[in-house]
Amino acid sequence: MSQSLMPLRRGSAPQVEPIEQPQYLTFRLGAEVYALEILHIKEIIEYGGLTEVPLMPRFLRGVINLRGAVVPVIDLAVRFGRPATEIGRRSCIVIVEVEYADGWHDLGVIVDAVDEVLELRPDDIEPAPAFGAQLRAEFIRGMGKLDGRFVIVLALEHVLSISEMAELAGVDSLLDAETER
Amino acid sequence: MNLEAAKQVFYEESEELLAAMEAALLAVETSSGTQRAEHLNAMFRAAHTIKGSAGLFDLGEMVAFTHRCESLLDRLRENELALTADLIELLFACRDHMSAMLAAVHDKRAMPYSAALEAQLDAYLNQPADSSALPPARRPEAQVERQGSGEHGVASDYWHISLRFGPDVLRNGMDPISFVRYLGSLGRIVYITTLYDALPEPDQMDAESCYLGLEIQFAAAAHVDKLAIENVFDFIRDDSNVRILPPHAHIADYVRLIKEMPEGASRLGEILVRGGALTPLELDEVLGIQREQAEAGEHRQLGELLVEERLAPPQAVEAALDKQREQVAHKTREHRAVRVDAARLDGLIDLVGELVIAGAASQLFAKQIGNATLLESLSSLSELVERIRDEALSLRMVPVGDIFSRFPRVVRDAARELGKDIQLELAGEDTELDKSMVDKLGDPLLHLVRNAIDHGIESSELRRQRGKADYGTVWLNAYHESGSVVIEVGDDGGGMQRERIRVRAIERGLLGADEVIGDQALLQMVFEPGFSTADNVTSLSGRGVGMDVVKRNIEAMKGNIEIESMPGEGTVVRLRMPLTLAIIDGFQVALGKSTFVIPLDMVLECLDLPADTVAANRHYLNLRGEVLPFLNLRQLFEVGGIAPQRQAVVVVQYGSHRAGLVVDRLEGELQAVIKPLGQLFRGVKGLAGSTILGSGAVALILDVPDLIQRAAIDEQRRLAVSSQQEAKRLSLREENTR
Repeated sequence: MSQSLMPLRRGSAPQVEPIEQPQYLTFRLGAEVYALEILHIKEIIEYGGLTEVPLMPRFLRGVINLRGAVVPVIDLAVRFGRPATEIGRRSCIVIVEVEYADGWHDLGVIVDAVDEVLELRPDDIEPAPAFGAQLRAEFIRGMGKLDGRFVIVLALEHVLSISEMAELAGVDSLLDAETER
Repeated sequence: MNLEAAKQVFYEESEELLAAMEAALLAVETSSGTQRAEHLNAMFRAAHTIKGSAGLFDLGEMVAFTHRCESLLDRLRENELALTADLIELLFACRDHMSAMLAAVHDKRAMPYSAALEAQLDAYLNQPADSSALPPARRPEAQVERQGSGEHGVASDYWHISLRFGPDVLRNGMDPISFVRYLGSLGRIVYITTLYDALPEPDQMDAESCYLGLEIQFAAAAHVDKLAIENVFDFIRDDSNVRILPPHAHIADYVRLIKEMPEGASRLGEILVRGGALTPLELDEVLGIQREQAEAGEHRQLGELLVEERLAPPQAVEAALDKQREQVAHKTREHRAVRVDAARLDGLIDLVGELVIAGAASQLFAKQIGNATLLESLSSLSELVERIRDEALSLRMVPVGDIFSRFPRVVRDAARELGKDIQLELAGEDTELDKSMVDKLGDPLLHLVRNAIDHGIESSELRRQRGKADYGTVWLNAYHESGSVVIEVGDDGGGMQRERIRVRAIERGLLGADEVIGDQALLQMVFEPGFSTADNVTSLSGRGVGMDVVKRNIEAMKGNIEIESMPGEGTVVRLRMPLTLAIIDGFQVALGKSTFVIPLDMVLECLDLPADTVAANRHYLNLRGEVLPFLNLRQLFEVGGIAPQRQAVVVVQYGSHRAGLVVDRLEGELQAVIKPLGQLFRGVKGLAGSTILGSGAVALILDVPDLIQRAAIDEQRRLAVSSQQEAKRLSLREENTR
């Protein structure tokens, strides 16, 4: 299939190729709408089949079986310092890829509902406000303008930083053991 | 035709050869007579083969250096030089240098060069022969018995391939080396000689013509037949001269070969002997037959040739003989083992893992349907799957002796450096362990052995005072024990000084000034980062780095470390490693809604939790007259919901520890394919990994050793703290009443 496309491109004078707009997936978490760049997203699955891992911090909801691979699931609401996400009819797990140390790791993120995929031009994205978003500053890449509203574009590498979360998990499991004494 | 893959084989083979060389070096020191000669031969063969292989990959520097080592070994073999302690030291250094060169090639770094080493080699190579060491003069070779017919086969096990490239090969766009490489993919090129006899004088030379010839000794892989080898040279067969002689070809075939090739009998004969195609005796026979034929009127000068052949350089003859011995050794090895890429094995094991999970799923569905015939056929299927699983896993098992074998050298060097007299004892080398673990155990063991030598073994004077043998003993031992492999590093030295460890621990703030701590916990302090009780730092150890790394590495492999130490009698460090990292037999238990898996090897028995124990809030129970402490997993894991009326206890054993684990329900055995929990959970305690159940749900695998150990340490610490608090409270009250 790709071969039939080739002759069109080959030999033709350099033409103005449409610049690909970065695409974003928007989703709801509580009352807020967030956006993640679609490049990092592998798939979206129905919520279910979660196994809790004991002695883990609350933002680590557990693990799921994704076609034979064991994938951790993160509760973003807890990570953002809010109460744990209640599982509802439209709850989903968004599977994202995060780079860490020796390669790419799959992570699941619980969201209340997935909205749509949209394109945002770079000048549609405003810098993050100094405060007011109720989020750690490095979690926000910017504020996307969408029909007169704002969506919070998340900085995935910070929101789902494996090194930071693993550290928290390690400390938490120690703390739990400590309080248990 | 993958050169990188071939190179990989070269590294592996060379490493094996260097290891053999080291073993021979260690042994040669204490041997004499024929044994010593055999060890020297072994070293020579190793160097010789490495040189040959390095040549194939065009590693000039390595060839040059190895050649000099080989020459030195040859002089030793010929008794031209006496084997002194200095010389052995030099040979050790040479071996290490070759190893460094190999590593450099592997990592694509620049080749190391040691001027000092080269100078030392020069000195020995140029030293006149030690006349006192000369053996009795060689007797002339016995007269050769000759069979005139040449109908019998030669001894060589290899194919012999003679190539004379046609002049147009290059012009036709073909590269002679590519044929050699392709040939290499069908087996092993044992020996190769490049012939440039056809090269004309430079002024008459045509740069586009090919004048090359090759003589190749080739060990074909099992499935390769003559047709396959012929096919290699399909493109050049028309205009080149290609002769392929099978293994054990008739003498007469060689006669024809020598006759038809343009180089002449003498030159070709020497090449054939050097490459191992013919033994010198066989060559004599070939030449004899040729002479007879020649005298019948074909050639004139063969009488001279024969004389020349009789006086063939002894080295060539030696080399030919060496080659043959090597062939025999190699042949037996080939029968024993097949080299398989580790990645392919891992792929196989992954697949078997998937098979196990899929099998469990079908069994679950069959149970739901309740069809007896289906269940029966599935159970015989799962039995087979189980056997395949065991076989597949055993493929990855390698004897622990593979790591042990490097330690004689380590101990020798370290003992020499410290001026101690130490002997090393090895036991249980046959104990098998997962390959991936064997690779990672080397460094931790190295640290432990060095520590034993440096800190464990006392000086000879002190040993004599204590009434011990002058020489210290360090031992390595490995054995299986209830589902794990135990590796011991022991010494008969002074033992660990608990007071010293205590003082250092308090100094470093790891321990309160009057904190009570269990013996094992105190000894484990040495694994804290930066902890060292050594008074002086030696080049071997004492810097306080290492032990914490050892512990971290072992724990990363889900193993653990135990120390046993008797003052004045010695120390044993025991590494307990899981048998495999891939698939285990598990025992499934339920806690609330969650399922957990306990490695079956550790499960002794199951029983009901006695009601009175619960009522009394005790954490131990009476198991047929023995005290059995138990852990309530519900409490430990903070499982929500209410415990069922009747709970069960799974009795587990780990090393010398025995304990109960209280769970809600028992759910029976399963085969658990271990899935790592991933980076996010690297800090998690008490869990060894996860597995996927037949239902598709994820179950967590309990890390029994960690649970038991933590329970023991935690309880001691808690009690120690509370007794300290009590003491503080009492003293406060005293002050108040005063």
